Amino acid sequence: MEEPRIGVYVCWCGTNIAKMVDVEAVAAKVGTLPNVVVAQNYKYMCSDPGQDLIIKDIKEHNLNRIVVSACSPRIHELTFRKAITNAGLNPYMFEMANIREHVSWVHSDKDEATQKAVDLVTAAVHRIRFHEPLDSRSVEINPATLVLGGGISGITAALEIADAGKKVFLIEKSDKLGGQLKDMDLIHPHMYSAQQLITPKIKRVINHPSIGLFLESEVDEIFGYVGNFETKVKDKNGKEIELKFGNIIVATGLKSFNPSVIPNYGYGTLPNVVTSGEFEQMLLNGKIETKDGKEPKNVAIIHCVGSRNLEYHPYCSRTCCMTALKYANQVRSALPQSNIFELYADMRAFGKDCEEFYADTSRKNVMFLMFDQKNDLPKIKKASSDNCDMIIDVNEKLSGEAVEVPADLVILMTGMEAHDNAKDVAHTVGVSLCGNQFFIEKHPKLDPVATTTDGVYIVGSCQAPKDIPDAISQAKAACARILATICYGSVEVETTTAVVNEDVCCGCQTCVKVCPYSAVSYDEEKRVSVVNEILCKGCGTCGSGCPTGAIRSRHFTDQQILSQIEGLLSLTVKEV
Amino acid sequence: MSTRIDPTLAVDLRKFGKAEDWNECFHCGNCTATCPLSETGFLFPRKSIRNIQMGLKDKISTGTEPWLCYYCGDCSDTCPRDANPGELMMTLRRYLTSVYDWTGLSKKFYTSKSWEFSAIVFFFALVVALFVFFLPPSQNLFNGNNQLLINEQGGVMINSLVDGIGDTQFVQLIEYGDWTMALIVASLLISNIIRMWYKVILNDKSIKISFFAYIKEFWRLITNFLVQPKFSKCDKKTYWVGHFLLMSGYTIMFTVIVVFLKWFQTEEVFDWYHPQRLLGYYATFGLLAFLIYTFIGRIKATDQKFKYSHGTDWLFIVMLFLTTVTGILIHIFRVAGMPLATYYIYVLHLAVLVPMILVEVPFSKWSHLAYRPFAIYFANLKKTALAKQN
Repeated sequence: MEEPRIGVYVCWCGTNIAKMVDVEAVAAKVGTLPNVVVAQNYKYMCSDPGQDLIIKDIKEHNLNRIVVSACSPRIHELTFRKAITNAGLNPYMFEMANIREHVSWVHSDKDEATQKAVDLVTAAVHRIRFHEPLDSRSVEINPATLVLGGGISGITAALEIADAGKKVFLIEKSDKLGGQLKDMDLIHPHMYSAQQLITPKIKRVINHPSIGLFLESEVDEIFGYVGNFETKVKDKNGKEIELKFGNIIVATGLKSFNPSVIPNYGYGTLPNVVTSGEFEQMLLNGKIETKDGKEPKNVAIIHCVGSRNLEYHPYCSRTCCMTALKYANQVRSALPQSNIFELYADMRAFGKDCEEFYADTSRKNVMFLMFDQKNDLPKIKKASSDNCDMIIDVNEKLSGEAVEVPADLVILMTGMEAHDNAKDVAHTVGVSLCGNQFFIEKHPKLDPVATTTDGVYIVGSCQAPKDIPDAISQAKAACARILATICYGSVEVETTTAVVNEDVCCGCQTCVKVCPYSAVSYDEEKRVSVVNEILCKGCGTCGSGCPTGAIRSRHFTDQQILSQIEGLLSLTVKEV
Repeated sequence: MSTRIDPTLAVDLRKFGKAEDWNECFHCGNCTATCPLSETGFLFPRKSIRNIQMGLKDKISTGTEPWLCYYCGDCSDTCPRDANPGELMMTLRRYLTSVYDWTGLSKKFYTSKSWEFSAIVFFFALVVALFVFFLPPSQNLFNGNNQLLINEQGGVMINSLVDGIGDTQFVQLIEYGDWTMALIVASLLISNIIRMWYKVILNDKSIKISFFAYIKEFWRLITNFLVQPKFSKCDKKTYWVGHFLLMSGYTIMFTVIVVFLKWFQTEEVFDWYHPQRLLGYYATFGLLAFLIYTFIGRIKATDQKFKYSHGTDWLFIVMLFLTTVTGILIHIFRVAGMPLATYYIYVLHLAVLVPMILVEVPFSKWSHLAYRPFAIYFANLKKTALAKQN
């Protein structure tokens, strides 16, 4: 190994770091460490002059390793890797010490903060001595795409990619396309007809030459990695067809919550308590009526059924409030003389034109009653008089009164929940589930449609409950990402992967079991584990599980981690 | 005990007021926080709005809150949703007036312009008819003997404009008329206040009020009737001043007419500094100042208080204005020595005044002269009783 010649650069981040960390002292201190040739500080290392400073020093002092002590590597690691690549170094001969999020933003004593910054930079300097150059790799992209789910999100995604002339395989487990939308009447807040929105799209999908449509079909297992996936899909006749594709769009959606588990609402025992789905069917049939075919005089709409309550689901289902207002509007036009009650917990009228829709509905003689969604759900009971069919007992929050609401028809705004088989789907496509069984995106803010598995995208309400415009935006966003990789023809894959030392591997297969990405398999012939470097994310789980130390995570070797710890402790321990 | 909600109330209430946007209220409570008169146990306007939205009729008819509000309009000014809480409280006062009234006429007058208008026309015609048939103008007014009706000061002898009846008897007759009117008004008001007392106090089983408490709190009735100390706590003091001018002016006039008519309506025209004339001038000034202020306010309709004038608001100030103007004209014609004009304007004055009092005081806007002080009295009785129980 060549002699390490390390350059250290301490960033001020304007005043973000400099106001709490004595950056000059940090640079001076680490400048004295062995192998450190240059130690500088600069106002903004990420700026062009900051990067030029590094490049100039690399050339001038013949540096072969660079430590930047600044913000989180999540923000600027790639920036600096690119910069040192420009100066002729391997991008992995770089280490970042985070003295902003981990130091200046979270501490209030300048001396101690400065000391901690010195420790972190020292740790980075110790670690980087053992860095090795790693090669980046790229894989070819198969231009076909697999779309799972034929709801509005899946249909939109399929059409978007197919319209670009690329092949799409659209898998739908039911016998019809259209998902939730095909069972809806009008859509809030503009009262578009759902049928008019979805039908032309379904027709286009069926007739599109670039879309291979598989109804009543499911996918059990997917093999491969980004650019080169393959699966066998069973069609409705039980025939297995082999498909090959480069990317996957998961658009499996969600389902309605079943309210019969909420005792207060009597769903299933009281005949005139219906779910929003059932009411939607009534609207599609063109007649709002009770079980015995009468016009309801009092219509109560209960919000948040199964949502925002720890006993059922803690999250907000997002679309039900506005759908409930839509029902109020539809009941008002169909039955002008009826009494309409909206029993809500909080009115969530976010989104374009929704607050206006709420204001407009409130002027249509609709009574809004607020209940406590956490501890005090309304209770529906059979009425004893002939005035109305049911009585709803509500402890009304805004008045503080216990009131009785008459009702002949109760609509439960059932929330949405993940499909029962969400876990299986997640396993098939290699994505993670959140606590509510929704698929987890790569980054909730910055990368909302990608997943931690390259080439797998989640769109629509399988990621979380969402309305139509959001679902469509996501579908189109995922398509943009996929079409970009298809255009480019290849994709860079992670090089910081695990590697097996076959001489040491005892074949215990611990690594196969613990790998969250199904990247490790067992070679029966050689009796050793094999890492699929394309699936491997370099998380290091296998490395820490391996009893013999046969699996090594590149860029996170034992030697690198131990020397980092050593560096972290060296100064403080000495001074104590 | 659960209360049944009633979605029809909010619809019915629309006839009692001009603000129709109560469902706009999302219960931020800004109005209650702004109001200097709202206090623990008697929180308004937000709670009152909720009672309307939910149609809690019992809550409304047993509450005193609407009467505790003097409509400064601060709540409406600061309402982020333009839900007009101030006008809502006004609407509730109209509604409560109709709730207390056992005759049902109040509701008719508030919700139907034709009912109210017909009642005014009826009493107007009745007064005119009484004069035409029983107290026609003296022959002296037409046969050139005008000077017989003029006194030493050159003024009209107002009690001698009718033949066949002496001047003292004439005043006596008018006074009997006044007493009859006052009796009708008082018995209606008192019976309605008993109903109010039943709803507000007796109906509330949670409190017990001792006889002693009624005596102890009685002074509030008097002060709130005479000077409205609560009203003066509103941030906008001009309203209180204007109201005080009107109220004191009218009380003086009403008192001298009903109780001291013989002292007030004299044959002799006194010097300008005579208390009889000074009192009259003060009352006239108070009435006119208030009326001009209110007319301008209601026409401009920029102040919250005057923004949403109900039909009954207009009728009230128009009737009061006509009464005041005809009263002023009586004085002018009398002093100027114009007996025939004095007679006609006197009849007209009574023909406007009588329907105004008979319609407005027991059934309409003016009933608040009794309901407001009693509401404050009852509210304080409740407050002290609750304080004692806790």
